[in-house]
Amino acid sequence: MMGTLLSMVPASLTGGTLLIIVAAFTGALATVLLFYSYLAETDEFRKPILLTSGIATVSLVIAHLYLTYQFIVGDYTNAYVYQNSADHLDLLYKITGVYANHEGSILFWATLTAIVATYTVYSSRFQGLGSRLVQSLSLGVVTTFAVMLVTQSPFTPIEVARSGVPDNYVPPDGSGLNPLLIDPWMAIHPPITFASYALLVVPFALGVTHFVALFRGQDSVFREWLPSMILWLRVSWLLLTAAILFGAIWAYGVLGWGGFWSWDPVETAVLIPWLWLTATLHAANRYSKTGEYKLFAPAAAAIIFPLIIFATTVVRSGVFRSVHSFAAGGIGAGVLFLLVVTGILAVGLPLAYWLLNGGDESSTDRDWLSHGPIFHAVVLSFAVLAFISVWGLLFPVVRSTITGVEVSVGQDHYNLWSYPVVVAMLIVGGLYALLDMRKRRLAIGATVAVTVATLIAAFIAPSGNWYLSDPAAHDPIVYRVVGNMSVLSIVPPALFFAGTWTARFVSRAKGVPSRSFQMREAGILLIHVGAAVMIIAISFIYLFAASSSVVVVGLEDVGNPDTIVEESDDGQYTVEVTGYDSDTTPGVEEAALTPEEVLTAYEDTPLVRGEVTAIDQIEGTTVAQLDGSDIWLAGSPNSVSFEEGEEVIARGTLFEFDSEADGEAEAYVYTDEENLGTVSDPPSDVHTPRVIDHQMDITVYEGDEKVTSGTIAAQDHTDNEMNTNDPLIQRGLTGDTYVVATEIDEIGAGLTITEYPLANQIWFGVIMGMVGMVLLLVGDRRRNAN
Amino acid sequence: MTPRKLLTILVLVGALGFGYYSMNAAPVMSDQDYTYQGGIEWHEDPDEALSVAEQEDKPVLVYYWTTWCTYCQDYEDDHYQNEEIQELLDEYVLLAINLDEPGDGSSLASDHDALYPPMHVIIDDNEEILGQLGGFTEEDRFKEELETGLATH
Repeated sequence: MMGTLLSMVPASLTGGTLLIIVAAFTGALATVLLFYSYLAETDEFRKPILLTSGIATVSLVIAHLYLTYQFIVGDYTNAYVYQNSADHLDLLYKITGVYANHEGSILFWATLTAIVATYTVYSSRFQGLGSRLVQSLSLGVVTTFAVMLVTQSPFTPIEVARSGVPDNYVPPDGSGLNPLLIDPWMAIHPPITFASYALLVVPFALGVTHFVALFRGQDSVFREWLPSMILWLRVSWLLLTAAILFGAIWAYGVLGWGGFWSWDPVETAVLIPWLWLTATLHAANRYSKTGEYKLFAPAAAAIIFPLIIFATTVVRSGVFRSVHSFAAGGIGAGVLFLLVVTGILAVGLPLAYWLLNGGDESSTDRDWLSHGPIFHAVVLSFAVLAFISVWGLLFPVVRSTITGVEVSVGQDHYNLWSYPVVVAMLIVGGLYALLDMRKRRLAIGATVAVTVATLIAAFIAPSGNWYLSDPAAHDPIVYRVVGNMSVLSIVPPALFFAGTWTARFVSRAKGVPSRSFQMREAGILLIHVGAAVMIIAISFIYLFAASSSVVVVGLEDVGNPDTIVEESDDGQYTVEVTGYDSDTTPGVEEAALTPEEVLTAYEDTPLVRGEVTAIDQIEGTTVAQLDGSDIWLAGSPNSVSFEEGEEVIARGTLFEFDSEADGEAEAYVYTDEENLGTVSDPPSDVHTPRVIDHQMDITVYEGDEKVTSGTIAAQDHTDNEMNTNDPLIQRGLTGDTYVVATEIDEIGAGLTITEYPLANQIWFGVIMGMVGMVLLLVGDRRRNAN
Repeated sequence: MTPRKLLTILVLVGALGFGYYSMNAAPVMSDQDYTYQGGIEWHEDPDEALSVAEQEDKPVLVYYWTTWCTYCQDYEDDHYQNEEIQELLDEYVLLAINLDEPGDGSSLASDHDALYPPMHVIIDDNEEILGQLGGFTEEDRFKEELETGLATH
């Protein structure tokens, strides 16, 4: 009876999937109960709500831990583990393999979102009118994630996921993790990204709830929750900034071409919520202080979440590579569903309210040069920057769908449109700081002077490198005008901005005894000055990056005892190669199976290693027993010869027999001269290693001066035909010297030596901003505690 | 109207204008009739190119390319921008075939054994091969080949 019942359970229903089904079911129940409680204004379902939301969260947490456990132990019966892990990986990368693909990432995101949402259900701080709707919406998002994961589960067994795999098949090893992801920066990048995303679900729900309440003529909890929402937005900003920074550091070092930002769709997509989040923080701060933005602040908070979903669509759906893979699989369709629903709620509701009930009349400022309008210009500019990026991703899809015309979007679109906006923001931001200090005449005078200086600087280009771009004569006028501006034009606005914000800090913090206030103000200062530093560095690094290339040949002769000295093509550098080595992983000795393993490995031509324990002749064939086992090597006598007691490695064709008797051959491995060798002289050519790592020791001179020395390496990953490389980066105050070889072998290598000016100022500026945000968080927290 | 409101409206109008302008300013990669390698108009349909060649009594230059081929990029940035080469190209009917998505050009590509980009083949309107140039060549060599093609036609 039990047997028939069990056989009715489909093979795809594993324990992990069951946990997700439980989460989807209880999550849906909690969503509905919370929604009903909101409508009926009742608290009678408090207990079942606590229970269902709790179960949903715990199920997801357990599912996530269980998946992590499967990765750690290497349970390759799970297709997702099989596809994204392998035995040879370090523990850290086994754990981060969980986030290497869609299913695991969404599970992690769902789990964190569930924790955040359920926290607001349990905590006594988040009660009051409208709170049930906030919680219902948050858990609704969790439920949608869970449903997506049921249809495309990270716990799908391998025999379901791959056709032609026998039941109960256990793959001996996983198929590995993308070698580019095997990096510490990439290990922490996904968790902090998703933590940041998860924190943004409550601002979304809170914003939507606020507009639902406005439509129903009710009050909402927006005002009450505002302090905690600002806190969440700030933490989320900090995490998202860190995520982007780590991604950029990874791209700089690991991708090996020295780029940290290339306006790739994935990079652009994650910048959009960051820009919008920054705009929202400005508006929400203003709202909490002056009551302005009483419609925009909640709307902006709500819109961040759909923007994140949009970023996920770009990253995960594949629409920006091929329109056809759009809704393939449950996650593609689910993400699309979330995008449409959250987009309508977050954009549609506020827009409808604004159109029906008129605008936000809280600002009565009639003076253009006062706080309000100037601040507003900055908020709008952030939104414009976000729109430039959104549009750059969207319009090729829009245009090719409508007209069938395919267009390309280059870096010029993003750089040349964003640049004037950034320049204007720096000037207006500086003006704001001066107005804030009630120095109106100085503010106007200084702003006019800086604007004039900026315009003049735009025409000063000591060399061709200074131009922002290199537009062709047939390019549209905007690209020609902006492209022919000198990058010197960023310097006056950035210095003005940093200077005025420093002055503002001094005037505000001076004489105020409160340490927490000073801390908060210092945080604000660091964020703004850090932004100015970063903007200058980013503007200069690419325009002034200069590359030379060096070709080195005959690496196999290096070190005994010659060194190779080559000059770069432009004569700027001399490279001295003092050593060359190559390693294979695994080596043939490591890769060879023991005789016992041969019988279970299901390989047609196994590589086997063992000691010859007996030799015999059967029907003109020489055979040799390995390790006293049932596995014998075999070969033609004029091709192979064995010696008892010798340890050999051989590859050959496997023939199996049914033999019950011990010591009788159960299987022969037919080999020959080329495929056979001793352990000291193994048949290396018949083995394909997973990775071939070529390293060369080099010293780079510029003229007579030593620039850098060290090891550069390039790895061939044979199983997925990928290359990775380890550059040599000499970091310095004025910039980095970056040496990389995209391919190295015994014949030779092509090296690229690039100078990146101000590279470290980018990292420095971003870290300064992050430190500033931490100070702001801590300072404000202390102030509120007092 | 408060400054804030006016500012918002101005920015919205500006954003719409930017959207329209930037979409139309983007370089066109291909439309229904032509593809624009190196900013030059190339036919994509071999039959169309061959019939134009017959009408105008011109040879056809077939250019096999892909998006990822850096040597194709060199051709497009340098060779096709060379004025002398452009004058010669005017005497040809141009046909560009993306080897990753050859479409109607797939049978021609297999006739020409075009496996790797870049590759140039000169044919007449009967698909008779007049000249062939595989891989990358310097501008002078490319020019010579175009001249020889015109001479044999």
